[in-house]
Amino acid sequence: METFVQTLVSGILIGGLYAIIGIGMTLIMGVLNIINLAHGQILMLSMYITWVLWTYFGIDPYIAIFITIPIVFFIAEGISKFLLHPLMGKDSILPENQVLMTVGIGMVLVELARVIFSSDYKSVQTSYTNKSWYLGTISFNTPLTIAFIISIIMTVGLFLFLTKTDTGRSVRATAQDKSAAALMGISTGKITVLTYGLGSALDAAAGSLLLPIYYLYPDVGPLFTVKAFVITILGGLGSTVGAIFGGLILGLAETFGATYISMGYRDAIGLIIFLLVLVFFPGGLKRFTKV
Amino acid sequence: MKRIIAISFALFMLLNLIGCAKDDNSSIKIGVLLPLTGAMAKFGEMEKNSFELARIEINAAGGVKGRDLVFVYEDDTGKPDVGRMGMEKLITVDKVPMITGGYSSSVTFAAAQVAQKYRVPFLVNTGSVDKITEPESFDLKISDADKFYIYRLNPPVSEYASGLEGFLKNLASVETAIIFHENTTFGTNGAKAFAISCERLGIEVFEIDSYTEGTVDFKPLLLKVKEQKPDLVYMISYVMDAALLMKQSKELRLSPKLFVGAGAGYTMPAYRENAGIASEKTISATLWHQSLPVPGATDYYNAYIAKYDDKSPPDYHGVEAYAAAYVVKDAIERAQDFKSASIKTALDGTDMMTAFGPVKFIAYDAKINQNKMETYVVQWINGNLELIWPKHLAKVEAVYPIDWNAEWK
Repeated sequence: METFVQTLVSGILIGGLYAIIGIGMTLIMGVLNIINLAHGQILMLSMYITWVLWTYFGIDPYIAIFITIPIVFFIAEGISKFLLHPLMGKDSILPENQVLMTVGIGMVLVELARVIFSSDYKSVQTSYTNKSWYLGTISFNTPLTIAFIISIIMTVGLFLFLTKTDTGRSVRATAQDKSAAALMGISTGKITVLTYGLGSALDAAAGSLLLPIYYLYPDVGPLFTVKAFVITILGGLGSTVGAIFGGLILGLAETFGATYISMGYRDAIGLIIFLLVLVFFPGGLKRFTKV
Repeated sequence: MKRIIAISFALFMLLNLIGCAKDDNSSIKIGVLLPLTGAMAKFGEMEKNSFELARIEINAAGGVKGRDLVFVYEDDTGKPDVGRMGMEKLITVDKVPMITGGYSSSVTFAAAQVAQKYRVPFLVNTGSVDKITEPESFDLKISDADKFYIYRLNPPVSEYASGLEGFLKNLASVETAIIFHENTTFGTNGAKAFAISCERLGIEVFEIDSYTEGTVDFKPLLLKVKEQKPDLVYMISYVMDAALLMKQSKELRLSPKLFVGAGAGYTMPAYRENAGIASEKTISATLWHQSLPVPGATDYYNAYIAKYDDKSPPDYHGVEAYAAAYVVKDAIERAQDFKSASIKTALDGTDMMTAFGPVKFIAYDAKINQNKMETYVVQWINGNLELIWPKHLAKVEAVYPIDWNAEWK
């Protein structure tokens, strides 16, 4: 029983972190209609920013969120405006040239990181990095718990932004029907650029939250691009609420699989769920939600 | 105009030809296959640095047969398919007569098949799965030594723990074990080999469990230690998985008698840097230590630190590369010409001392062209990797039993 509860706790905590990585990609998927294959690399970028802030300025990773978010937001706005937006609507041999562009952007980011920081593994050793708190015999990893709480706050914030503000409503309108949104007077071009920045900013928050738990090297990205992709599909391609459940399901499936089957099959378990969802719920979890 | 372009183009090509020809006379190009990017780039970097260190020393001392030695590096990115392509490129485009390097087991095995196909000698210095020097896996027989172009400087993974066996034999109190390994060729084979070691030592293995490289949360795996309470936890991991495994063991307050690593990640300075205090008093199998009474071992260690970075000293991976460069030099010097076949004949006769230890390619069990070596045991004591076994070589006493609560305060 103890093992079961501990597994459940670990799964939910890690799922919260996966969710916030997934939501960023989901948002971009919904509005831009592309899978952002540079998502993991942007996560890597924000982890490096957080690492630099910690190592050279002594800024705590959780405080660093307030700095990484604007930096990554503006970098992503630049990428979106000058690299992705111009490709929209252009005829090309391959229909998804924006997706290919994100692959290229990802590669450039990785190699830039390698040039600047070399291939060394980095991690931050804060006072709470290896701490846990205990509820009976069940241990809660402190940084993961903080990450989980901040993820919830960020998600609620995003939710309010999307449902209560004008810009947020425009984002949703653009995601639902671009032409109709344009007819209603929404500048869909601007919204598209903004959304890429917004999705990447969530990714940046995830990067700052991940650094105290995990470690960092230039090639850390692809691992999380794949996770975000699975979550996006699970969540139903563009549904934010779906993505939250997608993240939790992936986290739980991985941890339970690891405890009761074998940790060696972690990736296989995630991808089997992915296949099952594609076969049985092609719309993902979106059909259970309205947002 | 067209004519001018044509003439200048012809001239350009001619110059290129002359350039090539000149290049061929003044230097000897040897291929090196390493993971220079990707998740294993840290190891590749240490090995490349060591190859370069050796190359500079060799060339400063007059080169090989009066020519400069040049290493042509090819990045395998840690993926077998890329490694195969890199190998093809080294052989067919760069036309190197010999190749060395080879880091991860799966990449090295894939690359070795290419080398064997083209009959170019491949001196493996780190790839450790047993089948790399087993001719049977290349559709050859044990008697086909004259047709087998793969040589290996380092011991195979099945022998990594041989030194550890001696160490554990003296600790009669270890009776049960649990084995965690990454689900790669190296990890799976290492786990099997250690299970056999345990059988010989009369240690009961509760469980052998695998994980995927790059896991964020190892707790589901480590909970098994909490439940089953083995005396020894044996782990086969690359460097950052190693650091996370120990950090999370500390977090869960696991307290087996021993945490033992199987080399690879557990001897790397990056392991210490990232695991911090959680790495303290962990034990690892190793193939080399700078304090061994091997001529040149300490010199190499100091030269590396002086040249690169005082913060990340080399472990056995670096010295394997450094020694490989000297084995290459020795073989080319003794070869009649610079052809692959002559270099192979010279490699067969290799019998030399390197900073890594004695090198001689022999046939035993199912292997041929394999260098047979001893392995050792090290422990992280007060932030330094100290040699603790075999006893007659160790300068530092092993810390045992270990009080984890006191270490991890």
